[in-house]
Amino acid sequence: MKSIEIEFRPDRRKVLTAALSIGVASMLPGFALAASDGDPAALAFDGDTILLARGGLFVSDNGGRTWTAAETPGKVLSLATHRDRPGLVVAGLAEGGVSISEDGGASWRIFEARLPDGEITAVAIASRNPDMIYASLRGDGLWKSEDAGATWSLAMDRPWLDDAERDPLALASVELETGMGGIWIYAGTEVGLTRVPDCFCRWQDVQPGNAMDALVAGEAPPSEAPLPGGEPILSLASAPSAPEVMYAALPSGLWASQDGGVIWQKRASKAATAVAVHPRDETYIAALLGGILKISRDGGATWIETGEQ
Amino acid sequence: MPMNKGPKDRSAKCAVRRSVHLAALVSALATTGVVVLAQSEPVDPRVEGLTFLGEPVLASQVMAGQQLYADNCASCHGASLEGQPDWRRRLDTGRMPAPPHDDSGHTWHHSDRMLFQITKGGVGAVVPGYESDMPAFGEDLTDAEIAAILVYIKSTWPERQREFQAEVSANDTGG
Repeated sequence: MKSIEIEFRPDRRKVLTAALSIGVASMLPGFALAASDGDPAALAFDGDTILLARGGLFVSDNGGRTWTAAETPGKVLSLATHRDRPGLVVAGLAEGGVSISEDGGASWRIFEARLPDGEITAVAIASRNPDMIYASLRGDGLWKSEDAGATWSLAMDRPWLDDAERDPLALASVELETGMGGIWIYAGTEVGLTRVPDCFCRWQDVQPGNAMDALVAGEAPPSEAPLPGGEPILSLASAPSAPEVMYAALPSGLWASQDGGVIWQKRASKAATAVAVHPRDETYIAALLGGILKISRDGGATWIETGEQ
Repeated sequence: MPMNKGPKDRSAKCAVRRSVHLAALVSALATTGVVVLAQSEPVDPRVEGLTFLGEPVLASQVMAGQQLYADNCASCHGASLEGQPDWRRRLDTGRMPAPPHDDSGHTWHHSDRMLFQITKGGVGAVVPGYESDMPAFGEDLTDAEIAAILVYIKSTWPERQREFQAEVSANDTGG
């Protein structure tokens, strides 16, 4: 069952990395999930199962009480899953390339050869099409695959914010209409939030839905409460059950929006490094807060710790 | 003895002959015109399957738009609507190159209304604060000329892109 199918020209270092990861799976009650805040981490829900990538990949089928370590083909920096395809897990790798599992992380395929070399800082699966995958390549741009990772093409250069190109550190396919026959892709960068329609015409600020009407009419723009400026957005999640409900992990805390990212409110004050939302319940979220995995069943109003720390 | 025909007389006869010829020509043209009208061929036919802002598009608009596109747009967006090379990569200025307007680009994802606003008022008219090398054409082109350019661009799209864009336009209720 545990296998890694590497679909690229063998590279000794990478194969060894993958091989060393095999066979470490084990039940880990009381698994210490705490780590320094600086560690890259990613969270995702695969149905009711929680996936945590930090150092390795860990899987919990009981809301975080116990964890199983799973093999990965490399160091996972980013994770994505899809509500309509249980078991599908997309992982962006620090060594480069995107790896895909169709069995919840038990086995993996790598499609590295089809992407240029470089760290994959963020991945997302299109909300309306689980075969459409987006990957952000550090120092390069946003790439997309329309065939579940088999082939890739450049979709868009990186967003331009504060007079420089910025790497997306987090991506989320948000099922809100753009008015252009598609939906939005949101990106969290080191300096703030931006988004691009999935036709990839241009990166742009998050605006209220009626902002353009106000602009045309010369009226005052609708009120906004953006995320705090100057902070990296390390993780983003849009609830599949209510796409306008979004969560963002920042050093200043865990933030939530009920309107697609126009108005944000802080829901936890400890430094947040990763967040994920349940596919069927927009109030059920998992987040790394202060380096500790916590669960909220009420949209972040209250939190419980999971496992032994 | 026949009288000599002086220059004045020849001139008068020529004038009469010219008048007769002109009358015949006018008559012939009029008859041709009647025949043409009687055959009721439309002089400016509608372009099937193409509308702009809900109105039918005429062939003359597309032809005018093609020339206006060549004069005002082709230098950046390409004579064949192919866009600038490597158009997905940002320029050193931080701005994006001119994208293609053919089916390889994203123009067909935008509604008629949005395309018109972008052309007339610049990209900033629909995305506040967005910096682009594309000028606003509202000072240099009339609304009809802008519309003609856009219907020309739309006329080049394959059926799938036309249908998609028609649906986007139909759903665009803003503004």
